[in-house]
Amino acid sequence: MNSHCNGKVGETAVEEFHCNNGFNDLIIDTKKSAVVHRKHEVSRKETEDESRLPVLEAAYTSILRHLGEDTDRDGLLRTPLRAAKAIQFLTKGYHETIDDILNNAIFDEDHDEMVIVKDIDVFSLCEHHLVPFFGKVHIGYIPNKKVVGLSKLARIVEIFSRRLQVQERLTKQIAMGICDALQPKGVAVVVEAAHMCMVMRGVQKMNSRTVTSTMLGVYLEDPKTREEFLALAMRA
Amino acid sequence: MQINSRPAAASPAAEPGSHRATSSVMESWKEERTRSLEDNEMSLPSLAAAYTTILRGLGEDPQRQGLLKTPWRAATAMQFFTKGYQEKIIDVLNDAIFDEDHDEMVIVKDIDMFSMCEHHLVPIFGRVHIGYLPNKRVLGLSKLARIVEIYSRRLQVQERLTKQIAVAITEALQPTGVGVVVEATHMCMVMRGVQKMNSKTVTSTMLGVFREDPKTRDEFLTLIRS
Repeated sequence: MNSHCNGKVGETAVEEFHCNNGFNDLIIDTKKSAVVHRKHEVSRKETEDESRLPVLEAAYTSILRHLGEDTDRDGLLRTPLRAAKAIQFLTKGYHETIDDILNNAIFDEDHDEMVIVKDIDVFSLCEHHLVPFFGKVHIGYIPNKKVVGLSKLARIVEIFSRRLQVQERLTKQIAMGICDALQPKGVAVVVEAAHMCMVMRGVQKMNSRTVTSTMLGVYLEDPKTREEFLALAMRA
Repeated sequence: MQINSRPAAASPAAEPGSHRATSSVMESWKEERTRSLEDNEMSLPSLAAAYTTILRGLGEDPQRQGLLKTPWRAATAMQFFTKGYQEKIIDVLNDAIFDEDHDEMVIVKDIDMFSMCEHHLVPIFGRVHIGYLPNKRVLGLSKLARIVEIYSRRLQVQERLTKQIAVAITEALQPTGVGVVVEATHMCMVMRGVQKMNSKTVTSTMLGVFREDPKTRDEFLTLIRS
């Protein structure tokens, strides 16, 4: 399901941003592809979670045994159930859609200055090792007559981060999600995270951070706007 | 076949005057079951199969490009996170105990520690500070960090981890006293559940003179704080 952003849908929209001058011209195309994107968004229904627990529990019990642990000891007795619920929570983004959370919180406002929400804590799971990565997201957008409730930006982050992710894709999905919903003049998203797969294992570099960014619309075209965003959002 | 059983049943901490561990602790140490590299190899397919089931159960498509080899990667990663079960204290320590006429406090602090919560299978990470007062025998400094690695790379509970480290050092050196402080962040509290980003859990074990003498304990705690 995450592959939709890797495929034609996301790519076409972004390519068109590069090719055309006006951001607004592309709204229709984005919306079309976005509708396709949204239709397929929910790959897991919340109501199905309960029924899937036994399968997940059995898998975790198998994992514990094959790691050499004793599944009957006191501390591990209910671990398969807890671990199954935990991982369902950590991937709950699969049963949320942008429409559900945004529907009512878009307001007509005659504001066309930059709006930034920064230092949004983000937690996700690396899709390659199933190990957490976490950090901060900074979002900026320039409204085009429509502003969104501020917490909704954080909720968009939640939807896309609570999934099996790759940081690059997460950054792009957040930016595209905001574009779809608001059609603003520009969107900028910066994600800075520490990957436990690099810290706890593998190269084991404790202090390394990965930074990815997506700049759309006027943030991409105008260096000054981009600079302003980076100066305001990345200020210590 | 308990790998991680609490040595707490007759813990040395219960007897303030003695820092010599009781026999049950000695035995739990000897009973440390080691997982071998062959065990790892043989378990890998079953672990990978379990992870494939989990991916499907979460509503993901295990055939998509990003997830194709994930079950194997996740299985190997999990084996790495529990590699403490493959190692024995004896192997790590045997040669690095030296006779030294030193009886002042030795502290190794800010040892990065990574473990796995045994209740949710989610990472725990933080720092360990160790101090001990030698009794004619000192330990190679990196061996303190290796002891931390052996016990932390397991399915753990922070209280037990702290005590296991302290008891292992006591066993190896019979020092005058040992102090261990572990400060960690639990992802099970940060990423889910109560979701408190900034909370840290601090546990400590003080044995021997660190427990009996408040001044020694104070000195240790002050030095690790700075």
